[in-house]
Amino acid sequence: MQNKISHSTGTAQTALIQTGARTRAFGQRKVRGSAILSGILWLLAGFGNWGTLPIACASPDGASKVSFAREVLPILSNKCFVCHGPDAEEGALRLDSLEGATADLGGYHAVVPVDPALRKSPDSELLKRIHDVDDPMPPADASVKLTEAEREILSQWIEQGGEYKRHWAFIPPQKVLPASLRDVPVNELPLSNLPEKVIDGFVKEKLATRQLQLAPPAEREVLARRAAFTLIGLPPEPEQLSAFLSDTSAEAFPKYVDQLLASPRYGEHQARYWLDAVRYGDTHGLHLDNRRGIYPYRDWVVFALNNNLPWDDFITWQLAGDLLPEPSLEQVVATGYVRMNPSTAEGGVIPAEFQAKNNFDRTETLGTVFLGLTLSCARCHTHKYDPIVHAEYYQLFAFFNSTQESPLDGNSYAYAPVVKAPSDIHGWQQWAELQKQRAEVVNRSKSQLEKLKAELDKALSELPSSPVDRQEDLLTELQKPVAELQTELNKANEMQQNFATTLVAAELEQPRTTQLLLRGEYDQATGEPLQPDVPVAIGTFPADAPRNRLGLAHWLTARENPLVTRVLVNRLWQQVFGYGLVRTPEDFGLQGEQPTHPELLDWLAVELQDNSWDVKDLLRAMVLSETFQQSSAWRSDIDDPENRLYARGPSYRLDAEVLRDTGLWASGLLDPRMGGEGVKPYQPDGMWEALAHPASNTKQYQRDSGDKLYRRSIYVYWKRTSPHPMMMLFDAPSREASCVGRSRTSTSLQSLGLLNETMRVEMSRKLAERLIEAAADDGARIDLIFKWLACRSPSEQERQVSQELLDAMRSRYAQAPQDAAALLATGEAPAKPELDPIQVAAWTQLTSTLLASDLAIMLY
Amino acid sequence: MEHPLRENELLQTRRQLFGRASLGIGTAAMAQLFRSELGAAEPDPKDDLKGGIHHVAKAKRVIYLFMSGGPSQHDMWDYKPKMKELAGQDLPAEIRDGQRITGMTSGQATLPIAPSKYKFNKYDNHDQGVWVSELLPYTAKVAKELCVVHSTFTEAINHDPAITYIQTGSEVPGRPSLGAWLSYGLGSMNENLPGYVVMHAHSKYAEQSLFARLWGTGFLPSNHQGVLLRSTGDPVLYLSNPTGVSRDDRRAQLDALTALNQAQHAKFAHPEILSRIEQHEMAYRMQASVPELVDFSQETEETLRLYGDDVRTPGTFAACCLNARRLAERGVRNIQIFHRGWDAHNNLPAEHESQCKDIDQGCAALIQDLRRLGLLDDTLVVWGGEFGRTAYCQGGLTADNYGRDHHPRCFTVWMAGGGIKPGITYGRSDDLGYNIADADGNPLRPQPNKDKWTPGTMHVHDLNATMLHLLGIDHTKLTYRYQGRDFRLTDVHGHVLHDLIA
Repeated sequence: MQNKISHSTGTAQTALIQTGARTRAFGQRKVRGSAILSGILWLLAGFGNWGTLPIACASPDGASKVSFAREVLPILSNKCFVCHGPDAEEGALRLDSLEGATADLGGYHAVVPVDPALRKSPDSELLKRIHDVDDPMPPADASVKLTEAEREILSQWIEQGGEYKRHWAFIPPQKVLPASLRDVPVNELPLSNLPEKVIDGFVKEKLATRQLQLAPPAEREVLARRAAFTLIGLPPEPEQLSAFLSDTSAEAFPKYVDQLLASPRYGEHQARYWLDAVRYGDTHGLHLDNRRGIYPYRDWVVFALNNNLPWDDFITWQLAGDLLPEPSLEQVVATGYVRMNPSTAEGGVIPAEFQAKNNFDRTETLGTVFLGLTLSCARCHTHKYDPIVHAEYYQLFAFFNSTQESPLDGNSYAYAPVVKAPSDIHGWQQWAELQKQRAEVVNRSKSQLEKLKAELDKALSELPSSPVDRQEDLLTELQKPVAELQTELNKANEMQQNFATTLVAAELEQPRTTQLLLRGEYDQATGEPLQPDVPVAIGTFPADAPRNRLGLAHWLTARENPLVTRVLVNRLWQQVFGYGLVRTPEDFGLQGEQPTHPELLDWLAVELQDNSWDVKDLLRAMVLSETFQQSSAWRSDIDDPENRLYARGPSYRLDAEVLRDTGLWASGLLDPRMGGEGVKPYQPDGMWEALAHPASNTKQYQRDSGDKLYRRSIYVYWKRTSPHPMMMLFDAPSREASCVGRSRTSTSLQSLGLLNETMRVEMSRKLAERLIEAAADDGARIDLIFKWLACRSPSEQERQVSQELLDAMRSRYAQAPQDAAALLATGEAPAKPELDPIQVAAWTQLTSTLLASDLAIMLY
Repeated sequence: MEHPLRENELLQTRRQLFGRASLGIGTAAMAQLFRSELGAAEPDPKDDLKGGIHHVAKAKRVIYLFMSGGPSQHDMWDYKPKMKELAGQDLPAEIRDGQRITGMTSGQATLPIAPSKYKFNKYDNHDQGVWVSELLPYTAKVAKELCVVHSTFTEAINHDPAITYIQTGSEVPGRPSLGAWLSYGLGSMNENLPGYVVMHAHSKYAEQSLFARLWGTGFLPSNHQGVLLRSTGDPVLYLSNPTGVSRDDRRAQLDALTALNQAQHAKFAHPEILSRIEQHEMAYRMQASVPELVDFSQETEETLRLYGDDVRTPGTFAACCLNARRLAERGVRNIQIFHRGWDAHNNLPAEHESQCKDIDQGCAALIQDLRRLGLLDDTLVVWGGEFGRTAYCQGGLTADNYGRDHHPRCFTVWMAGGGIKPGITYGRSDDLGYNIADADGNPLRPQPNKDKWTPGTMHVHDLNATMLHLLGIDHTKLTYRYQGRDFRLTDVHGHVLHDLIA
């Protein structure tokens, strides 16, 4: 403990000094011993162990009680903690704990909790100062001010007892049912669909407080499209859609959703979000930005999600698969997560600097992906808002500081340690089957061998009475299981011939020493060696867990962990509903937003654990909820542009990958092959050359041809310093840093991309050909394309608009057949010679328009 | 309208259609709508602040000429006759003063002082005059417009961290670029062109990488990313219609598209549909305005001669400079030209002669051209790289050839126009051009923090703070909330250098 806590003595906190110079110092708290002691006191008293303080009391006059967690703490954090928060000067007033807030400041106190009998608190310095016109807090020149409403909340808070509570997200979640289910006897609770009922219960409960109800259900066609895009990132197959639409039973939708969840397309779509979060890229990311061997990790993520690997394993394998006993290949490849940090081998860089930088990146990514916390502040000094002490940052850092790889990547594809792994997802499937067979053969052979050995022993012991031929028989028999084993081994060896290189984590035998780095500078290590540990305010490291990445994974997946399941569930909710229940998916700390539906988030977070970390089940529940199934039309009776009430279904522009995949799918071009090295579709010439170092091996973009042009977008090669321009146009992150929520912008450049990019034109003309071949006349073809893109028939107006464009283009191309030929020459796939080019060109103009329209590019 | 929500929806659309006042057209209204909860309120450039958002702007636009790789101050701007006397001698330890040096020269037995082989001349400015080397004969002629800062410094010593630092305020990837911050803050004054344009100029020595992050948006909404204006293929990505599709065809397509989207809107009333209808129209206008922009045929022969013969070759630095002027004229607020090839570790003379030839006439012409069009007063031009180069030689030192390693501790940047004091120099270095020095030549060793700035010095954060200031932005107030923190370009640092401001 002594090692664990210490405060920065760096230059981080000077704001108070600044303030003090101009105004009366606000609370030079008496020094209560060493910095270490104050840290311990704070952690124990402030956020470490408290629930509700005994001094909390009911409002004496019955005025509505202010909520510390929801109303007071955000004000303190946002307006006061800059100077009076966790990283305040030693001896300065701290408002992040009751102990600090009520400390003796030299005859006066910032907060004097009201004695219910007295009802008034004239002595709280905080109240005086926030109302003081001449000498206010925050100071007149501070960048933040308190609003009148905030002053009122703070006043009420102190008058109601000055209660302190831990920040909501640091208290482990509990399951509380919505009111509508709370009084239902346990044995009468709906078992199969309880999660859906809980979702709807909480959403309706909140709507009811405003006399509102859910919107009417979406049309079934719309719902079918929405569910498919949500779960597999593609429209439903036409037969699947027809089957669903013609089945009017109550089971139709759950059945349809189960089909989607079982589709191999599910893992491809869901993996995208994960790859954004863990910043997956096919290149090292810095300087030369050379190729990196890592795609087997990406394929493993798709494979694992399709197999619905429980997420406690999903997390553990990625963080520490290599440290599991006799780890499988899957478990080791999963540790590619640990190696995902951008890396460099720039001439002249200092290895120690990048040893630190690589681990900053890993530590902070852990914070974003699993904890929903901004740890980067604590790299240089104790966190300003969240209870993360400077040293604790380096204790988390220590978990990652003992991996074997060199801090510099050597610009090498096989930046060691690496293993060889299946080179696509089919390979992973074969590998898994082979492992299964092998286990069977080994088991069988083992028992056979044991039996034979016993017989042989017996025969030998009976020598010379035992007949010689019997001994020979036994020896021959012995060879059978051995040969069988050999065959299995050969199969594995053969398969391994085609394996691909992938970066993995491996631990040094002797851990590296980690010390605190002053101001986050790699050459400013100071203090005692730090043991790997987790921040006190958010948990306790499991007593029996090893102090390494595996132990860290145990902690992350432990029942008591307050953050991990909330953070993950929130992101899954965001994937389904467009926004998280916490609107700041990257920040669950004091500066983050409060959840819109806290009990719902908590219930789902616990449910994920109760239900064996089954993510497919959780997504199924979300999609089957009435909340998801509402119409997404904006309601004129509610002013809720961000849909915080969930009083309409989700709607948003689809992601870059989904736009491309949908076009490929509709045109029949989509190549279903899963996994493998990143593919390079069309890209304007010269984009990589314009940026890349002459020595970089990703200087030349060598476009693929044939089927590789048409693979799903998750397999598009990701050069981190220059990702594919269509991805960048439509808000994909660069994958240099973790991204847990993309922006969704609307720009004119997107319009140009949608209508002019080679791939878009090619998919439009192949879609045109497909329509022409699939139906006999314009009307039927227009029906078909609406079916494919919007899952419904066109309205009369839509039909008319489409027909008019088609007619205009037909006569236009009839007059200039050379233009039709030119249009049809765009992209590699040859035009079908048997079709009339004028016809195809006219249709191409229509399909291109429809593929760019909001009925195709939006979720609604 | 009968309902406030519909009203709001229409307002959004009107904002998209007609822009916010005459400045700042629809920078991120949609992003605002979708993730407004995460960001600070959208900055609002104001007419009465001349396009500034916090105070009256001196500059309405900025043209940043970025020399990637680290140009040598010793051979261009920082004249040190004393180095001739010390030529070949080992760098004194007290000068180096514990400075960490890169792995490329840290193993050298000696660090021999390498004087520049180039002749320097003193040119009149509005102060004591400025020394400029013979490598920059054209730029020297506009000395009266330049504010030459000899005391710029950074902490990073390698390209990737250093360039990421000066362009994003952080050595590691993930933060928004300077340009993205400006786009976020300033919007655009031209609804037919993007608000933030980036060009890559050709160089014979295109060493060192650039990264999309240098004009990327980090956690800002991605519509603030720099738009590449390219010299080959489409000047703006995907600008041209596919072959076989005419402008009339596109018009017909867009009319159909609008009708379809309106039908969709009638059904769902999603306001972003209306926004997108307008974006499609702006794209259509851009298809006309961008080719006009990059067409120099209407430029006079005199103008073309001003920029030199290179200007006739697309993609040269000179051509990029003329593009920059044309963009500035058309109200684009935020223009960057990246020129690579300044990383002269070994054959500095050959490389820098070529590099300087690439840029010299273009730099000078740009300033003169902006001046005569009356644009220089409110256009800030900035020239510089991510760090400077060492006083000592990397590799073999001969009379004619030498190389220089990276040097973060002191280098030269110049600015002009846009409210900058013309014709001055600022800050100085010691006799070896190694350390920032006081008036007596004693090393200053600035250790900046948010409260302390050392007069006479310009940290890269100070440069950024000063640029923002000139554009009417308080660098401490242009913030965006991400991960619970109000991020800004200058992090918790940066001081506006009022000494440089007219």
